[in-house]
Parts: sequence; structure tokens; C-alpha cells
Amino acid sequence: MIKNSSLPLGRISLFLAILVWLALLLVDLVRIFGMINNLESGVSEEVTWILEILFFFFIYLVYRRIFWKNRQLDFLTLIWRGVSTGLFAASAGLLTEIIYLAFGESKIGTDPFLRNVFYHINFALTSAFLIFITLLWKHLILYQKNKQVVNQWQVFEFSMLGALFFVFFNHNNFDYSFLFGLTILLILSILLAVNLKWIPYLNFKEKWKTLLFLFLIMLCAGVLFYRVLDSGNEGQLQINLTDNLFLMALFGFVFAYGLFSFLVTLFNLPTSSVFEQKLTEAINFQKLSQSIQPEESEEQVIDILLDSCISASFSDGAWIELNPKEPFQVKNPLRLLDESTKTAVLSYLPQETQSWGPSTIAEANQAQAIRISHPTYKSALLVHLLVNKSILARIVLIKEVKEGFNKEMISIIGTFARQACISVENHRLLNQAIENERYQEELKIAQRVQKALLPLKLDHPVSFDICAYSNTADEVGGDYYDTYQVDETHFVLIMGDVSGKGTSAAFHMAQMKGVFQSLIQLGIHPAEFMNKANAALSKCLERNHFITASIFEIDTANHSFCHARAGHIPTLWYKAKEKTAAFISIEGLGLGIVRNPTYKNHVEEKTFVYSSGDILVLLTDGILEGRKETGEQFGYDRIKKIVEEHHQKTPIHLQQEIINSLHQFVGGDGTIDDDYSLLVVKFKKSD
Amino acid sequence: MLQLERIKEGNKEILSLIGEVDASNSVLLDQSIQEILQQGTTCLLIDGSQLGYISSAGLGVFMSYLDDFSEQGIRFAIFGLNEQVSEVFKILGLDRLIQIVPDKSTAITLGNEP
Repeated sequence: MIKNSSLPLGRISLFLAILVWLALLLVDLVRIFGMINNLESGVSEEVTWILEILFFFFIYLVYRRIFWKNRQLDFLTLIWRGVSTGLFAASAGLLTEIIYLAFGESKIGTDPFLRNVFYHINFALTSAFLIFITLLWKHLILYQKNKQVVNQWQVFEFSMLGALFFVFFNHNNFDYSFLFGLTILLILSILLAVNLKWIPYLNFKEKWKTLLFLFLIMLCAGVLFYRVLDSGNEGQLQINLTDNLFLMALFGFVFAYGLFSFLVTLFNLPTSSVFEQKLTEAINFQKLSQSIQPEESEEQVIDILLDSCISASFSDGAWIELNPKEPFQVKNPLRLLDESTKTAVLSYLPQETQSWGPSTIAEANQAQAIRISHPTYKSALLVHLLVNKSILARIVLIKEVKEGFNKEMISIIGTFARQACISVENHRLLNQAIENERYQEELKIAQRVQKALLPLKLDHPVSFDICAYSNTADEVGGDYYDTYQVDETHFVLIMGDVSGKGTSAAFHMAQMKGVFQSLIQLGIHPAEFMNKANAALSKCLERNHFITASIFEIDTANHSFCHARAGHIPTLWYKAKEKTAAFISIEGLGLGIVRNPTYKNHVEEKTFVYSSGDILVLLTDGILEGRKETGEQFGYDRIKKIVEEHHQKTPIHLQQEIINSLHQFVGGDGTIDDDYSLLVVKFKKSD
Repeated sequence: MLQLERIKEGNKEILSLIGEVDASNSVLLDQSIQEILQQGTTCLLIDGSQLGYISSAGLGVFMSYLDDFSEQGIRFAIFGLNEQVSEVFKILGLDRLIQIVPDKSTAITLGNEP
């Protein structure tokens, strides 16, 4: 197809066609003049034939262009254009006939030149009509084309091309070769004529119109054909343009396809309602599958479903019952019924179909036809809608005839129901996804807030270095550390671990921070701190939660620290003088376990003297319990060894060493399924 | 993975913990103990000989019932813990509140004491 639309190809072709036609007329008149006067006009009949072929060709181009432009039009409009062309050509023919009848044997009536002018006009109109209709048929045949049909059409087109030049071989004689060619082309036409897939897509009314149009086209073709035959038999002084295989074959093709289309349309009339029905169903199906956009409600799907079911089954009434557990309501659950009729019909339905229990789930999504003995309604169809393994709703369709629901209806309604359920399910999943996203956002906020609960800057004097690390298993966690400077020489460090992990642990961790920051202002010492913290937390923690903590009060003036432990992982103390590390052993019960004043009996404090170069490593159980794939835990000994080995490093490097070892230990497949934190203190060789 | 097996020996309920108790399945343990309490018993022994790991959430379950046990006069003991798990109880200080004994026979003797 020519893509360059800037050239007015249609108009150029039309202009050329007219030009060729005028040339043809002129040549033929010259030839007739020669014949009449027995002169050699010097123009051979081949010139006529060439001009004729050119004329056909340009007319073909004109119409091809028109079809290309109008390819989006519907069948009826196109067929109507064919009809109008035909009517125009046929009436022009009849008008000529009338003129000649009027003039009879007068001079004008017998003038061969005038007669030939009319003949050429009629020839042009007939050709134009036939070519237009042929292209129209092509359009219809190739509707819903497949490769085979396209091939068939191409064979036909090439044969027609052959027929166009047949005249050079046959010299316009009506002989056996002509008949042979015509027969072959007719057979090809008939083979093509079975491609009638466009017809079912017409609705009932359109089919009637099509019948009328086809009839008119065939009538016009008949009139024109009769005129062509008639003029062929006229006097000698005639240039015969129409006894041409190409033209005859076109007539044949136009007739054959027109007749087939006419008959098939006619026989399709009674069943067209079925096809329309199927089309409606397909559209309904599409509606159901597209219906739930996020902003639409499930109610609308149910509404569409109910309407689709009624139209698919030609029901005389229907209603929908929603599972009472469902959160939404349908505004108008009744169709073509009133409430009292519904109640009456309901009492005729079998009892077991009226429960929402799981026994009906097996049949859910399957439409189930039931015979009922209501005075008006004789058959019912029960459809269950199953969403997420529970019944969402059931639809009851009723009809006045017995066994009114055939297999196809039941199956299509079942499909509708399933599709509706999928839509509802998808809708719910989508909403869930949106909700989940919101929760994720909330968790991110929680994470940010919690991060802010851990101190950015750790209070410490020049006499010791300190660094901390914390990581959570989930978005938020329950590990806690903090520092507090009491005065110039007294610093408090705390590390805590809330039982469990995740959000609940995070809340308790926040409480722990509050407790620490409040109590530590009172200037109390570690054991007393634990005792008071236990009392405070006992009022806050859920019964099955507890917090473990380690607290150090460092006195830099005396090079000592006072320490208490509440159920927390013992702290590792590297003693530079002894070049060994050991976990500080001290008794202490977790906070919130004993929620009465006897707690003070379960906690103790001890004061230790440290020397420069000593290291304290406070940790949470997440580090110790980091596990390999085999189940082996990181454990106390590994940390002890790492600290002994790397004691000369700065706290931050030592900390990095421990974290790296932990990650290396658990490997890619291992897990650290808990929050884990680390606080490293190193006393400087200040003096 | 946690599997709970409950057997009754005389007037003693023995609950075996097989596998690991962590935050995700501590609810199961909680449900089992709740159930035993509701049905009433005078002695609950936990068989921890096949317990590989217990997280703080699991410890929290035992802890939350300690008051109930003492109020209802139920003897409660855990036996057969491996070293690692036993250490977890000790560090938290729960060994001061719960009787943790090496084996079943000791636990049963304990249960039989007046």
C-alpha cells in the first residue's frame, strides 16, 4: 500500500481514468468512422484493448484508494455505497434505453457515433460498478482472514489479471477458450464465495438491511448484464468492449458472492439472536473482569453479575443474598420481583441450600438447577459465589417454564460467577496490598523514631573510649543502650534487651529508655537502680515480657566501676595486666520477672577496679545466639578469643572485628534471628 | 519448629518440648500450659531433654505462669535441659524461681515430695 498520503493518488487515478476513457472514446469513434466509410483508420483494435485495460486499471486504483480510506467503515455503509453505484449505473443504462425507445428509428436514434458515445458511458459505469463491488466483496471475504483465504484471493486476482489480457489472445471471440477461462474464474469465485464470516456479526436489523442491499446489487448487476448482452447482439457498427472475459468474470464473481451472501444472511436470520446473545455474554464477561478498579466497589461487580446472569439465562426474576458476614450490602438485591414473591419462592427451595455453612462450599461457584413447584415459577438456578473459601453470596434465578435453564446457560452463568469472584478477590488483594504498604510506611516511621531513641553521642570522658552498634531483626527491635554523665568523674552505661522482638519489644524498649533517663537523675547506684526499674517496669510490661539489663557506673577518679546485672548476658572484661578476658560473674534476675518488692533480694552490685588498657564488651544475646546453618551458636568463647586477640585495637575496630566474625560465622545461610547490639569501652592509658 | 507432647503420669502432667521455642511459636507453648492449668493439675513437669533452643519469648511464657503456679499450689519443674539452654535460664536468673533439675527421676521425686 502506498504510504505517502501527500499525493492525491485517488484524484490522479480518477483523472487518468477519465483521460483514458476519453482517449478510448476518441479512438473508437475514429475506428467507427473508418468502418462506416470503409477507410483504413490506421488505428488497430489492439489500441482499443490497451486503452480498455488501462481504464480498468485506473478505475481499480481509484476504488482501491477509496476503500483504503474508508476501511474503518462498517459493512452496511460500504454495501450501501455499492448499491448506490449500482443504482446509478443501472439507471443510466435504463435512461439510455428510454432515450432510444423515444427516438426510435429517427436519425438521432440510428446515429452510430451517438450510439457509441452512450455505449462508452454505460461501459464506463458498468465497469466502475463491477470493480467497486469486486473490491467490496474482497473486503468482506478478507474479513477475519487467514493465510489460506489470502492465498485463494491472490490466485483469483492473478487469474483476473490474466483475464484482462486474454483479449489479445482471443480477439474478442466467443469460443471454447473463452468458455474455459470463464468456467475457471467462476469456480474460483464460488470457492471464494464461502468466506462469509462477516455475516454473523450483523444484528437482526442489519441483516434485513443487508438482504435488501444485496438484492439491489444483484438486481443492478442483472440489469447491466442484460444490457451488455443486448448491446453485444446489436448491429455491426459497434466496437465491442464488453464481451470481455475480465468483465464477464467480474459479473460472475459479483453474482456468485452476492447470491451466497444473500442466502447465508437469509438463513442466518433466525439464529442471529443466538449470536447476539453470545456477543452480549462476551461483553458482560469483559465488564465483569474489568469492573473492579480500586475506586469501584464490590457491590458494582455483584450488580453487573446479577444483570449478566439474567440476560444470559432470560430469567423471569432473580435476587441475590449476601452472606450476613460480608461487610457490604447490595442496594437492590431483587430483579423483576418484589419482596413477597421472593419470600414465597424461597420457601420452595430445598432447605439445605439455605445455609451458609461449609457443606455448600463443595457446590459453590457451580450453578445448580432446581425444579420448584411455585404456582408461577417452575425452575430455579442457584449460584454460589465463593471468595477465599467462604461463600460471599448466592444468586437465585427463576423462570416460569420447567427446566428453563439449559446446559449452556448453566455453564456460562458458572463462568460469570467465577469471574466475578476473581474480580472481588483481586479487589480485596489489592486493598490488602495498599494497606500493607501503609503499614510498611508506619513501620518505617517507627524505625526512624526508634533509631532516635538510641543516643547518637555517647557521654564519655577523655579517659575512656566508647562505641556502640545495634542492628534489629525486624524493622524495629528491643535492644537498648544509653549513657549518662552524672558528674565530671562519674559516667553510667546501660545496655538492655527486651524479651521477644519486633514492635512489642520496641515499645518496651522506649519505656526502658524513659525509666533509665528518669531514675538515673536520682543519683542512685546500680542495684538500687535495678530495683526501682523493676518496680516501674512491673507496672508497664505485659505479663510475659521482661527486660534484661546491665549497668555500669564508672568512676574515672578512682579507676573503678560499680556494676549490676539484671538477667543480662554477662559483660566481657579484658584485663590488660593479665592479658585475658573473662565474663563478669554476678547474680541478678531479669526486670519484670518478679513483680514485687522481693526483687531486691535477687539483684546485687559489685565494684571492680580497672586499669588502663582494660576493655569492657557489653552485648545482647543476639550475638551469642547467631547461628550457623548447622545450628552451632557463636557463643561466649569466640567473642572472648576475638577480644583477647585484638585487645590493642581501638573500640571501633574491635567492634568491627566482632561483627565481621559474627557475619562470617553465620555465613550466607545462617541466621541472626534476633536484635543484636554491642557496646565497647576501652580505658585509656591516661596517667 | 516446635512439637509439644503431653503425657500424664499419675497425678503429674509431663509436657515435652521437642525442637525450638522462639517468638513465632511461643504462643503454642502458652496455649498448652493454659490448657493444662484449665484442666487442673497439681504437678507440671517440663521435659526439656529435646529442647534445642529457647528464645526470650519462650522464657517469657514460663515466667508469666510462675504466679499462677504458686497461687494454685502447682509444683513446677523443668528437667533434662542441655547445657546451652540451661545456661539461658541461669543467666536470666530464672533458676532461682523455677526448679531446674537434671533428669526425669529427680523431677518426679520432687513432684512426690509433700
